[in-house]
Amino acid sequence: MESFFARYRNLVVLLAILLAQIIGLAVQVRRTSDGRSRLDAGDSSGVRLIRYWAQALVSPPERLIHSSNLGAAHLWQNYLDLRDVRQQNQDLQKTIDRLRLEQAALLEDAKQGQRLQALVNFQQKYIYKTVVAQAIGSSGSDQSRVFYIDKGAADGVARDDAVITPDGIVGKIRDVFPHSSQVLAINDQSSGAGVILETTRIRGILRGNSIGQSQIVDILADKRILKGENVLTAGGDQIFPRGLPVGTVEKVVNDPDPGRDGFIDVLITPAAHLDRLDEVLVITSTEPRFSPQQQQDLATSEAEKGAEAAAIKEQQRASQINAERLPSLIDPKLPPDQQPLLDTSNPNPVAHPPQALHPDRFTPGAGSAPGSGAATDETTQDANPAEPDSAVKPGQPKPSTKPAQPPQKKPQTNQPQTELPKKVQPQKPPAQTGPPPATPPQTNQPQANQPGRSN
Amino acid sequence: MPLLAADLRRTNEVRRYPMLAYALVPLAALVLQAWLPRVLGSYSWFDLPLVVTVYFALDRRSPIQGTLMGAGMGLFEDALSHHAIGVNGIAKTVVGFLAASIGVRIDVENHTIRLAMNFLLSLLSSALAVFVSRILLGLDLEWRWFTVLFTAIGNSLIALILFPLLDRLQIRD
Repeated sequence: MESFFARYRNLVVLLAILLAQIIGLAVQVRRTSDGRSRLDAGDSSGVRLIRYWAQALVSPPERLIHSSNLGAAHLWQNYLDLRDVRQQNQDLQKTIDRLRLEQAALLEDAKQGQRLQALVNFQQKYIYKTVVAQAIGSSGSDQSRVFYIDKGAADGVARDDAVITPDGIVGKIRDVFPHSSQVLAINDQSSGAGVILETTRIRGILRGNSIGQSQIVDILADKRILKGENVLTAGGDQIFPRGLPVGTVEKVVNDPDPGRDGFIDVLITPAAHLDRLDEVLVITSTEPRFSPQQQQDLATSEAEKGAEAAAIKEQQRASQINAERLPSLIDPKLPPDQQPLLDTSNPNPVAHPPQALHPDRFTPGAGSAPGSGAATDETTQDANPAEPDSAVKPGQPKPSTKPAQPPQKKPQTNQPQTELPKKVQPQKPPAQTGPPPATPPQTNQPQANQPGRSN
Repeated sequence: MPLLAADLRRTNEVRRYPMLAYALVPLAALVLQAWLPRVLGSYSWFDLPLVVTVYFALDRRSPIQGTLMGAGMGLFEDALSHHAIGVNGIAKTVVGFLAASIGVRIDVENHTIRLAMNFLLSLLSSALAVFVSRILLGLDLEWRWFTVLFTAIGNSLIALILFPLLDRLQIRD
């Protein structure tokens, strides 16, 4: 027996192992009622233990391989497989540069689009005819605050057209070329525009100073002028329509001229960004530009107004006819002492002042009755202030004082009427908001001597 | 006397390996067999535990050791799968026994013989697995003949590369 196992030891071991495995398989497999075999849905504890051991033995190396594989892949991809990376980097850098330029261009286009949109919106709402222009250059000098726009005579731009932005006025057209124009900004020393303070209604002339600040010059001191007050165009210069924003009061300074006490200059912060102008509007016509609806409304209004005026006229004519037919208190055909309602029965008539012994220019009726005999020639001249100096007879001396001369009409109603300085004379009535003709900077402007045209 | 001469020759030709190789090489084969299909997907036409079983069975020339190694590798494979434990165990047990039995009688240094042995034993292993599953256990096991063929070819090619590498691990006098 011993020799049998020794001789067939290999086969015995093989059969034993096979038998053990077959028995193990038989334990795991069940035969169903329909005669088919299937594995147990749930492993038995022994099988489960074997699977657990196998898994516990294999999992750590698998995890190690997996992590090392990730590390190897990371090492390969990030440190070894770097062929053409330099070229790719250069290409990407070029792409980034190109995209940055494109982005900047697009950003600039977007900003320009927004500005143009705002400008178009303003232009559509604005009542006057305007031309949109682009600022294309400047004088390049601080002493000459002019710039050029890309619209000229071919676009309908004319000399002295107002140049504005939705924020406020900019300047006026100083020179016109076929396809471009030169604009004189309002902060130039030779510029001028009639303006009015919104709250205090003080009028003045806006011009620039030597450092490019806009200021209202030659107005009398007024404590009501406060910082932040809005300044609008007065509309009397026949360049800028009235009511356009000019800026806000920044500071009030005394007139630098020592001989002009009581006068101030008002520094203005322009509403328009004069140093960052891109698109502007040129007012080519101040004729009101109404929409069809507005024109229809105006026609309706005019028609209604005409009918009403005709009715009023008819009523007045009927009243006149009635007045002619009815008896009147005063008969124009009779002399005054024979009027039918002349009442002489009043025992207390109105007392008239006694006749002046020495009539002068204050005597009632002295002006209207020069031939009364009481007034002298001098009195007659003084009593008639409207009489020009030419009315003085030749040979007679001109009176040194002018007490009867009517006070000058001042745009600033708050200005005192007593002793005006000599330089008050250049101030003009509100309709003439242009610079005084005595100021030299306007000499280069052809329209300087035109009334109502300021530089 | 001839038997003694044969035993002496077999004893002299038995190759010995470090104990660490007996532990790590089968373990590496099992781990790689479990991990590589994740990388290669459906192209994992190889059976590394079978190749290692054949190698050690051929070189050790001990049917018992080949049987034990085949049984262990097969059971390990079954334990890592959801199939019944013992299907691959029986197949590789038989393969290990046969490889060791054949190794006693042929020259295993020849690459062609190694290639042929791996190819044939791979087909036998697959056939035994199908036999045990479908005939012995009566289970519905789907199998494709070209998959079995490709696996046998894959094992042969791997053996051509792996066997020389494993030969370097043997202890030489």
